[in-house]
Amino acid sequence: MNRTDHHIRRRLTYRSLKGCGVAVALLCLAASGAGAADSPPDFTGIWRGMRSNGNPDYVRGWPKDAPLREDAKRQRAAYHALVDPKGETPGGWCVGTGMPGSLLESGGYPMEIIQKPDQITVIYEAHTEVRRIYISGPKAHIADEDLFATRNGHSVGHWEGDTLVVQTDHLKTQLDQTAIHSANAVITTRYHLGKTEEGKRILTAKLTMTDPDFYTEPVTVTKTWVEADPETRMMLYECTEPAWDEHLDALRAAAD
Amino acid sequence: MKPIAIILSLALTGMAVPASAHHSAARFDFTIRDAKVTGVVKEFKVANPHTKIVLMVSDDKGTRDVEFEGHSRNNYYRAGWRPALVSVGDTITLLTAPLKSGEDGDYALRVIAQDGTEF
Repeated sequence: MNRTDHHIRRRLTYRSLKGCGVAVALLCLAASGAGAADSPPDFTGIWRGMRSNGNPDYVRGWPKDAPLREDAKRQRAAYHALVDPKGETPGGWCVGTGMPGSLLESGGYPMEIIQKPDQITVIYEAHTEVRRIYISGPKAHIADEDLFATRNGHSVGHWEGDTLVVQTDHLKTQLDQTAIHSANAVITTRYHLGKTEEGKRILTAKLTMTDPDFYTEPVTVTKTWVEADPETRMMLYECTEPAWDEHLDALRAAAD
Repeated sequence: MKPIAIILSLALTGMAVPASAHHSAARFDFTIRDAKVTGVVKEFKVANPHTKIVLMVSDDKGTRDVEFEGHSRNNYYRAGWRPALVSVGDTITLLTAPLKSGEDGDYALRVIAQDGTEF
């Protein structure tokens, strides 16, 4: 379901509810499918990425054989020819990965989700990348002209039963992550809860990136997290501080 | 944090290093994970994205100061590091991945503090 479809569905839901009497409101809610959205599952918590099975066909959660267009391959090769000789990376400059890498590569560092009815906030500890998923209210309906492209893009979500469906767009073109993409990429992620055999909560995201500029067909991958132990706490990932300290030292030396 | 998780973290941060350094992860031979270097701490700056360790090392090559790169502060913390564990003047041992070039300046995968605590 795209964003337009979602908005139409919301309007139809409202109209159908308007036509219901108070006495049958609950029945109408159930029939319209809106009931599930009134009590969605709670994703709040600290999560750790579950170790993959070491599938050699994937790098950082992204398929090695993703169907890239030839021009995208050329752009990627040119980027790597530029940075690889010195091993340059965005992380080396304290720059976060951006979507979909922030979701797929949170690996050894935990991720925290804070869920409110109108907004779900996802904090990836590495590089303190933050994604705000707007569910309802004005921030879920920001006009295109008021948005601009960023590495993690703009995310709007809705509930389909117990599944959170998030559409992420307004992404910057990125050649500097494993899952390269153009500025026209749109990512749809479907999150749902489950449990391990031991009874621990797990969160699974099925992510599909559609980017006709870079790929010949959509690419779908899955990422799973397990709820962290209760003692796990999120830590700040202050990264630019050493550079600032060195700069201060240089200023002091120049002032002496 | 277990060592395997720290390895994953290295991967996801693109082997991030301080902006002032811009070192390359490709410089290190991570097939070797237990080279041992012992020295006296001259600097132990635990930071993100990577820690800076300077030891005064004495071996066959002589006595000199050697700078090492280490994990992020977050990863060392989860591996057991606490601020009081290492001080300037302590004698510590690093378990390292050496530089492919054979020069000084390994990557510190693990640290054995003066009191024997390993993180």
